[in-house]
Amino acid sequence: MNDFLKKVIIEPLDRFWERVLQFLPDILTSILIFILGIVLGLIFRKLFLRFFNTIKVDKFSERYGFVEILKKGGIKEPVSFILSRLIGWLTIIIFFIVALRSLNVPAIEQILERFFLYLPNIFVAVIILFFGYLLSNFLGRAALIAAVNAGWKVSGLVGRLVKLTVFLLAVTMALEQLDIGRGTIVIAFAIIFGGIVLALAIAFGLGGRDIAKEYLEKKIKGEEEKKDEISHL
Amino acid sequence: MDSIILRKEIHKRIDEIKKADILVGIPSYNNARTIGHVVKAVQTGFAKYFPDKKCVLVNSDGGSRDGTMEVVKNTTIEDFQSVLLHHRVEPIWKIATPYHGIPGKGSAFRTIFEIADALNVKACAVVDSDLRSITPEWIELLIKPVLEGGFDYVSPLYHRHKYDGTITNSIVYPLTRALYGKHIRQPIGGDFGFSGKLASFYLTKNLWDTDVARYGIDIWMTTTAIANKFKICQAFLGAKIHDAKDPGADLSSMLYQVVGATFDLMETYQDVWKTIKGSEPVPTFGFRYDVGLEPISVNLERMIEKFRLGVKELMEIWKIFIPSEILDFLSKSAKFSKEEFHIPDELWVDIIYSFAIASRRKIMNREHLLKSLTPLYIGKIASFIIEAWDSSASEVEQKIERLGITFENKKDLLIENWQQQKGVCHE
Repeated sequence: MNDFLKKVIIEPLDRFWERVLQFLPDILTSILIFILGIVLGLIFRKLFLRFFNTIKVDKFSERYGFVEILKKGGIKEPVSFILSRLIGWLTIIIFFIVALRSLNVPAIEQILERFFLYLPNIFVAVIILFFGYLLSNFLGRAALIAAVNAGWKVSGLVGRLVKLTVFLLAVTMALEQLDIGRGTIVIAFAIIFGGIVLALAIAFGLGGRDIAKEYLEKKIKGEEEKKDEISHL
Repeated sequence: MDSIILRKEIHKRIDEIKKADILVGIPSYNNARTIGHVVKAVQTGFAKYFPDKKCVLVNSDGGSRDGTMEVVKNTTIEDFQSVLLHHRVEPIWKIATPYHGIPGKGSAFRTIFEIADALNVKACAVVDSDLRSITPEWIELLIKPVLEGGFDYVSPLYHRHKYDGTITNSIVYPLTRALYGKHIRQPIGGDFGFSGKLASFYLTKNLWDTDVARYGIDIWMTTTAIANKFKICQAFLGAKIHDAKDPGADLSSMLYQVVGATFDLMETYQDVWKTIKGSEPVPTFGFRYDVGLEPISVNLERMIEKFRLGVKELMEIWKIFIPSEILDFLSKSAKFSKEEFHIPDELWVDIIYSFAIASRRKIMNREHLLKSLTPLYIGKIASFIIEAWDSSASEVEQKIERLGITFENKKDLLIENWQQQKGVCHE
């Protein structure tokens, strides 16, 4: 009986405890590395913000049009702030990966390897999202101004719709790049976009029937709305 | 300087004419209906006032499909006696050619300048092809100050309806006056006289792929002449009556091109305008008389509605560069009734100067920035129409003069903001 208990319970527990004792320093090391990464990330963020301000990165980027590009995309934060944050996060991510590697777990190492192979996809997806965001802001604002100048009461909605559509397209492209639900995403986008267009067509068709009729009558019969005769130049 | 006169027959024609004294250019695009009258007025002007000079008429066309160039080629004064004239000694030469480059008035002018330069003319003039009120006297008034008075640039002076020329009255005239210190009442009038020397000077500037090639050409010609110290005067031409200008043209595009060109020139000539204080009149020629003008219909409600829509939707954009106290006032004025609606001159000047600074600092896409001015401009015009409803032409003129003085009074503030460093560091 004693032999049985020893073989079935005590010996495996001993082996487990031995492994835990072997693994514990690795866990502690990786936790320490990760904490160090966070601390260093925060320190680097502050240090680099001061450094960038000292070397006048904001003025430089304004002179060479980087600020304009960012502002066109609706990003109002100074370049020094964005760069210092980026450095901070990069530090944390690098230390996190080192921490994971220090665990010496084959499964994690395999995952990390796959992750590194996957990294270019993430990089491309981030770039797509970044430019998609800039483009959506730019086109949204262009549509808003054009609609306001045309006197459309729904200008705000038009601007937001254009912005959302372009960003949605960018998200779809980014997800496709990441190989997440490749077919589903494209179909979902097509359904959503097609749905919006159909909804608008039905809404205008039913809701704006009288307006359309009146407009066509005016056009055909030549009874245009009284226009301003001001010559602006 | 690359020549854009590509057609062989034009080179041949230039070789045939060799040299000329006077050149009048007419830019056109689908103006078959009106250009015949303009050509006749120019030809009669040549015959009546410059019988012994070698004169050339140039039509620079933007690819008209209504036979504009054929009208130009076929229009001649057959019976000079009907206009109390005898036949000229010198024949009148005519060149009708399509221009090259970006479609627009500026590109048409470039071709005219090139032909003037090639023919080594002494005096030139350009007149619009849609004019209904042009008379032979316009040619005399635009050319003689150059030929006999030694002037390099003759700007037009017209009688216009009090609601006509609103971009000129509310932005371009007062701003040009405040910046460059000259009372040029119609800096974008469209009909100008200039010396051959100035035409050659214009050609040295390589700006033909910018807005100067479009609506910006008029302000560019005027500002370039003032800022480079050419001798300037005005000529009173009477009433300006023309066909509706580009009925399809979008107001915001027009505003973007004209105001954009004006702001560009502020950047180019900042060393000139920063040193100028006050303003002065320029010599004016021509016999001034009153004319009856056709009434203009305006839709005030729609204008105020467009202003309100702009205030509602574009506030987030304006917040980036317009001071908050101005925006507060705009928000309040959007709630005013038609009777109370008013945008004061001081506020308007602050708005225009804010846009000029924002354009210089490149705080956002330039087209977005300048097109977002449209609702504010429409609001200012609505306010001006309400103010001037019962005013006579001279009272309206006084109002425009007061606006010019307000632009001048606030110029120091513009200079101060203009000189501030572009970049701001954020912690």
